[in-house]
Amino acid sequence: MIEIDIHKKLKSSQGEMLLNIQTTIKKGDLVTLYGNSGAGKTSILRIVAGLLQPDSGKINVNGKTWLNTAKKINLKPQKRKVGFVFQDYALFPNMTVKENLLFALNKGEDNSIVNHLVEIIELGELQNRKPQTLSGGQKQRVALARALVQKPSILMLDEPLSALDSEIRFKLQQYILNVHKEYKLTTLLISHDISEIIRMSDKVLQIEHGKITRQGKPNEVFNYTGLSAKFQFTGTIIEISKQDFLYILSIRIGKDLVKVVADETEGEHLKAGDKIVVSAKALNPIIQKIG
Amino acid sequence: MNILKGIIEKLTIHGKLTLINLKVKDVLMSAIVIDTPDTAPYLKTGNEITVLFKETEVIMATGNTDQISLRNKFYGTIDKIETNEILSKLTINTSVGKIKSIITTNAVNQLQLKKNIEVTAMVKTNEIMLSE
Repeated sequence: MIEIDIHKKLKSSQGEMLLNIQTTIKKGDLVTLYGNSGAGKTSILRIVAGLLQPDSGKINVNGKTWLNTAKKINLKPQKRKVGFVFQDYALFPNMTVKENLLFALNKGEDNSIVNHLVEIIELGELQNRKPQTLSGGQKQRVALARALVQKPSILMLDEPLSALDSEIRFKLQQYILNVHKEYKLTTLLISHDISEIIRMSDKVLQIEHGKITRQGKPNEVFNYTGLSAKFQFTGTIIEISKQDFLYILSIRIGKDLVKVVADETEGEHLKAGDKIVVSAKALNPIIQKIG
Repeated sequence: MNILKGIIEKLTIHGKLTLINLKVKDVLMSAIVIDTPDTAPYLKTGNEITVLFKETEVIMATGNTDQISLRNKFYGTIDKIETNEILSKLTINTSVGKIKSIITTNAVNQLQLKKNIEVTAMVKTNEIMLSE
């Protein structure tokens, strides 16, 4: 369990902002921080990682004190057992993939974890290549593996997927979920992508102007009913029109434009631009192979 | 959307699918989901559950419906019919409350549906959605 209670005055482009965060994160959960740019999400991760000093506060991780400003306890970042992945990959360009991973090991440590990571993140064919020969998605897989070499108790992902296209993104999400489960990590993710958040998170913290304004399961925070439906997508309404007892909606879902019908109770609250969850029973679709 | 509250009476699990028998007031219903109690802990005998189905999935019949495969049947009388060129919306008073159905106006005419006549509203098992 991670208990966080931190305060810090931050300077942002809109002026000063008071970061004031109290929350408890269950061990083994994947928790997403969601909110506008400048809300303080990255600062929260940096404070937990020990890269940024709060004005006051406490951080306890699995019973161990990482920070207690009143008692002047402040563990150094390298003592905090945190793995960090950023949007840019920050790999060493002069080293191969494998060397990048081995370099993250402490001297004298068993390197079997590196082989295990190469296996589960499927880096086998890439391990002797240099970073500049890799695609963005491949580099990010290496960065993910490198963050895990030291067996962190917390994995922190600061918008790791936002520079990647949707197909690669989806694959990376699967790798993240796999390692999260395999290594029983507690994972903190920053993301703006609601479908990604719904797919991945046990819990969401909505951060606005330095404070948690909502927290809970994704359906509680985004305010939709959790349904048994397995055919479920998030999208944006492009156009909505009423006809007879129905609303006809054009919705952008990923790269696709679809049309669906909503009934009056569903449609009367909707307008163009709204983000929505579309759910149907999985037994209806007709599947045809293409290409 | 038709929304009802029911109690789970029985679960039949096979592979990744679960067939759920539930009771909404005096009416027995069934639903099927691609989940099991392992993947969806709300699937538990005795649990209260929300049952949802769209108006457009509700089939209307008059007369005897014993020989129809549909597992979810609500007997009642028509409370209201609103008619448009292509579609009509029916509100039916049943023992579980008002059920709404949207069917074609052609079907309304062919079945000679009118206010106060006795009908059966039916929904296929695989159109029923559940929520905790």
